[in-house]
Amino acid sequence: MDLLWHTIVIIGVWLPMVLLHSCIFGRAKIFFFGPIAVWLLTAYATFLVLRMTGVYSLAILSGLIMASIASAFLAWTSLRLESDSFGIISLAFHLTALSIVLTWTSLTRGSLGIPQIPVAPFPSSTFGMAISTMSISVLWLGGMVSLMRSKFGRRLTALGEHPAAAAALGVRRSHAFFFIFFLFGLAALTSVVPFIQYLGILHPNEFSYEALVFLIMMVVAGRPGSIAGATASTVFVVVLREAIRLLPLTPSFVGPVRLLCFGVLLFAAVCWRRESLFPPTRSF
Amino acid sequence: MQLVLNALVAGSLAALVAGGLGLMYGVLGAFNMALGQIVLLTGLVTWWLVASISAPLWIAVPCGLMAAAALSLLTFEVFVDPFVRRHRFLPLVTTIAWSMMLDAAVLLLFGERPKSIPSGDKVLFSFGDGVINLQQCVLVLMTVMVLIATAWILHRTALGRKFRAVTQHEGAARSLGINATLLSRILFVVSGTLAGAGGIFIGIDMSLSPTLAFPFTIKAYAAVIAGGRGSLWGAVIAAYAIALAEQLLVGIRWFGVITVPAGYQQAVALAVIVGFLLWRPQGLFASRSRSV
Repeated sequence: MDLLWHTIVIIGVWLPMVLLHSCIFGRAKIFFFGPIAVWLLTAYATFLVLRMTGVYSLAILSGLIMASIASAFLAWTSLRLESDSFGIISLAFHLTALSIVLTWTSLTRGSLGIPQIPVAPFPSSTFGMAISTMSISVLWLGGMVSLMRSKFGRRLTALGEHPAAAAALGVRRSHAFFFIFFLFGLAALTSVVPFIQYLGILHPNEFSYEALVFLIMMVVAGRPGSIAGATASTVFVVVLREAIRLLPLTPSFVGPVRLLCFGVLLFAAVCWRRESLFPPTRSF
Repeated sequence: MQLVLNALVAGSLAALVAGGLGLMYGVLGAFNMALGQIVLLTGLVTWWLVASISAPLWIAVPCGLMAAAALSLLTFEVFVDPFVRRHRFLPLVTTIAWSMMLDAAVLLLFGERPKSIPSGDKVLFSFGDGVINLQQCVLVLMTVMVLIATAWILHRTALGRKFRAVTQHEGAARSLGINATLLSRILFVVSGTLAGAGGIFIGIDMSLSPTLAFPFTIKAYAAVIAGGRGSLWGAVIAAYAIALAEQLLVGIRWFGVITVPAGYQQAVALAVIVGFLLWRPQGLFASRSRSV
């Protein structure tokens, strides 16, 4: 039963990030590969302040500020660079953030991570955490469905499909990009806070390249831009990842086998979605 | 002097890889995110031949390069070519998937521990107050030779003119009977093999660790973008500039008081590239596509 609640917690943690990333990637057609960097920076800003001050509201505020700064920087960069260049530079941003966390040992303890995270006003049991994270995810799900059906959702889709035509109709690219990236930062904050509380340790391994590929796989498998698809693929991929733990493999084999499974799955998802992943630009 | 020599060696390694990638990007317009894993596997195959079956280095190195060529060809045929025709961004995702599979293969076949290719005693040469070893001299000379050969092929041969034609306008080049797919395949394999040579050098001069692949790919492509997408010389200059910036950053006592820890070397170099691209998004020398 604990495994079930644990799986629900993990689904609840990933879902807000997957929903937002799916909209950025699928609707706005932004090649954004830096989501884990935003997650990492938000997590460290939140929990370092929490450790120093013990004041939860101050920690959340610092996390929000960091998420906003990182998101605004990425939004600005996405406006300046070509799509694929932004993809590489957002990966470089991830690598840079990870290197800083690993090197600044006096503050972050580097690869040792920060144990004994102070307990927050969240439920301490796995069941309680599952309810909390699922509640947050359901709120995000409802919010994203409404947002994508709203004028903003249509503008974002228009920008992704034909930026010049959308601009001619008065859609401001910079406004839309800054707003969707800010929402992403907010989603990162609401997912990383319960996640680190649940783990009880803030460790850089949780923010590795593998985590990025895990996220991209969920987005691609669910069809980028599709809310229902993103939700279904998050459930499927998280259940698969947790199920791999149950295989009778030695710990040194679990990691590589998981990498292999996810690599094959991501490739299969792209093969399956190759027609719809980057549809041709509309012509008039 | 030692800093300059270090920068020359690191820059030559990066230029060897980034130069090929710059050309490949110009022709194909696609990224290969499994490049770092190909580099790693080439080095590890060479290590295995030398350390496990005691093959001499003059046999192990060509075999390693053949492995790099074979892996590059496989990457092109399975993960790039079928997708790039649909959309040039698709290979970015498919090669990420391939990089994960290769990462798993590296961990399952070679384990997590760093490996060094045994190459006997190192012969050292002194230049002023700096020291450089024989392997590093070979790398620098090899890079210079490859760059001269590439320049000659690009500017003095019919094949080079075809490459430049495809880079400038693929559609027009195809209509003139140039087989752009074949040229892309050749360039992909050549750039992968050159990158693999870099992997062998890393294995001989330093050590090959599974964590090397991802940063290697990102730094190589950052140099390609900073140099101006599709520009060979831009990528080469950017590679040397990044290497010099990395060495100066950690080798100098800034303002007489601050020493930057070596761990920040990579982070600061990447931050400088990001900053440079925000200032000049087209890079150093952007190649223009012709309109017909």
